[in-house]
Amino acid sequence: MEYDINFWLKIAAVSSGGICMGLGAMGAAIGEGYTAAMANEAISRNPNNSGEIFKSMLVGQAIAESASIFALVVAMILLFTNFEATSFVMVWALLGAGLAMGFGAIGSGVGSGFPAGAACLGMSRQPAMGNKLTTNMLIGSAVCQTPSIFSLVIAFILLFTNFDLRPLWPNWAAVFGAGLAAGLSAIGSGIGGGIVAKENCEGISRSPESAGTATNIMLLGQAITQTPAILGLLVAFILIFRVYPETELISPAFALLGSGLCIGIGAIGPGIGEGIASSGGVKWISRNLKHTGDITRLMLVGMAVAESTAIYALVIALVLIFVV
Amino acid sequence: MAIEGTDLVRAAAFLGAGLAMGLGAIGPGVGEGMAAAKACEAIGKNPKEAGLLTRTMLVGQAVSESTGIYSLVIALLLLFVV
Amino acid sequence: MGELGLIHQLLVTIGGHEFVINIDVVIMSWIVFTILLIFGYLSARKKDIFPGPVQALGELFVKSLYSLTEDALDKEMAKTYAPLITALFLFLVCSNWIGMIPHMHEPTKDLNTPLSLGILGFVLANYAGIKEKGIKEYLKEYLEPIFFMMPLNVIGELAKIVSISFRLFGNIMGGSIIILVVSYLTWSLVLPPFLNMFFVIFVGAIQAFVFTMLTVVYISVQVK
Repeated sequence: MEYDINFWLKIAAVSSGGICMGLGAMGAAIGEGYTAAMANEAISRNPNNSGEIFKSMLVGQAIAESASIFALVVAMILLFTNFEATSFVMVWALLGAGLAMGFGAIGSGVGSGFPAGAACLGMSRQPAMGNKLTTNMLIGSAVCQTPSIFSLVIAFILLFTNFDLRPLWPNWAAVFGAGLAAGLSAIGSGIGGGIVAKENCEGISRSPESAGTATNIMLLGQAITQTPAILGLLVAFILIFRVYPETELISPAFALLGSGLCIGIGAIGPGIGEGIASSGGVKWISRNLKHTGDITRLMLVGMAVAESTAIYALVIALVLIFVV
Repeated sequence: MAIEGTDLVRAAAFLGAGLAMGLGAIGPGVGEGMAAAKACEAIGKNPKEAGLLTRTMLVGQAVSESTGIYSLVIALLLLFVV
Repeated sequence: MGELGLIHQLLVTIGGHEFVINIDVVIMSWIVFTILLIFGYLSARKKDIFPGPVQALGELFVKSLYSLTEDALDKEMAKTYAPLITALFLFLVCSNWIGMIPHMHEPTKDLNTPLSLGILGFVLANYAGIKEKGIKEYLKEYLEPIFFMMPLNVIGELAKIVSISFRLFGNIMGGSIIILVVSYLTWSLVLPPFLNMFFVIFVGAIQAFVFTMLTVVYISVQVK
């Protein structure tokens, strides 16, 4: 049986679209479920405020959903676009794009559910702070979406770049590894950012006067929590846009694949860990506003140490690309 | 495409190095984050002991980091020695 | 969707070296500069004790960014660095929002702009650190906790530039990709205005603020 390249492109596109939507639906569903659970708990505590809690649950779920909508958009494009190419690298690029967006949507979906749930609980505790809580929830979950937006950028670059002039070995591993790097590295940062925003919403409902300072620290913490995802994005860019000479050996290809996996998986832990660290900082700043300076400094030092493992992964990934 | 034995070993070593460092980074990352969160809590409760708490946090993180360094060493060994 | 990867470039050869200039970015940056200059002129034209609307807006920006800088650094140093921080924030907000106008591109959508601003902040932070602590103390920090961690510390420091600039670039680029794709799918009728509201105004303002605040924090980490 002889198959031409268009046949393989079609197979890659449909399977990658399926994987993309399947993985992408997981995170948002978990996040929305968490929000709904918290909203139920909040309403049972304070049934008088049920209207506002219900509204904020819906808004929070809508934002948590946006990560899976990104995955839906990529899956639709994979299914309904006629991809044409003369090089088999494109087949792997399509697979990489689906995996990047699919994995990338998990973290942000789970993460954005946390602040929405905490905001619902906070409204049952402090109905007067409803507006402030909604604003903070929106800011927190919008910043949470950043890692999934990074994956979206990589997915689009993989879909619409012309790989025709690239030889199959080792470029298939480069594009596939780029997708894995961007997608996997977004998981940790998404979840971590959500944990930070959750503590911020809870802190505001406990001590409303800390709202301004705690929000600034939350933004800072979320921004630094995204660093592992950004390192993954960097490796993905290098993997896609560097020119690799054609080779008869298989080891260079596996080095590139390994570098994508290395920074991708290696960024998960530091992302979640930095989120936990800065959630501790945000939580205790809102309870002890006087010592904001001390706590912020300790939080930054702790996050810098937690990030060092992501830096080790980056070093190994870069060595795999440039040295060996 | 002919596959030679040494080439296959090198390919496996590269993939293994990536996986070693990648998987090895998960645990220390989460663990160090927990240490830092608890240190923030401790300073929030008892701000006077900031210096002592910072030192304790750094030592604890250094210990939990050591598994990450083992992974780094193994990854470098796989890349340059094997 | 071909316009996604389209970049208008100009090749200039000076003394045998080829320089590539992205025309869109240069033009759009100058438009942003012009807007900011006009805004600055209008807000400082009549310094009244009862401020007019433009002056009130200008005072709001300057005052809030001054207090942000004072929180992270101390009062003395805020005097040195707050003007630059304010200028940085105004430039970023204006560049992020300008994409709302049809046929205008955000200068921050091109990696060159965030990267140069990130390098600026990095150089500034390290300069402030050397000035405050002296070169010996500054270099000693790279040898902690053990001397052979030096390369990793240096890479960690350089990763700051990467993270600060790629964060801004990725967000703005991702937002414009989503708006473009959804506009193609829905024929520019209903959704794009709302997406513009969210991705351009909301996310643009947040990311400009985050970039500014991270620059302040990098300075304060080096100084203390």
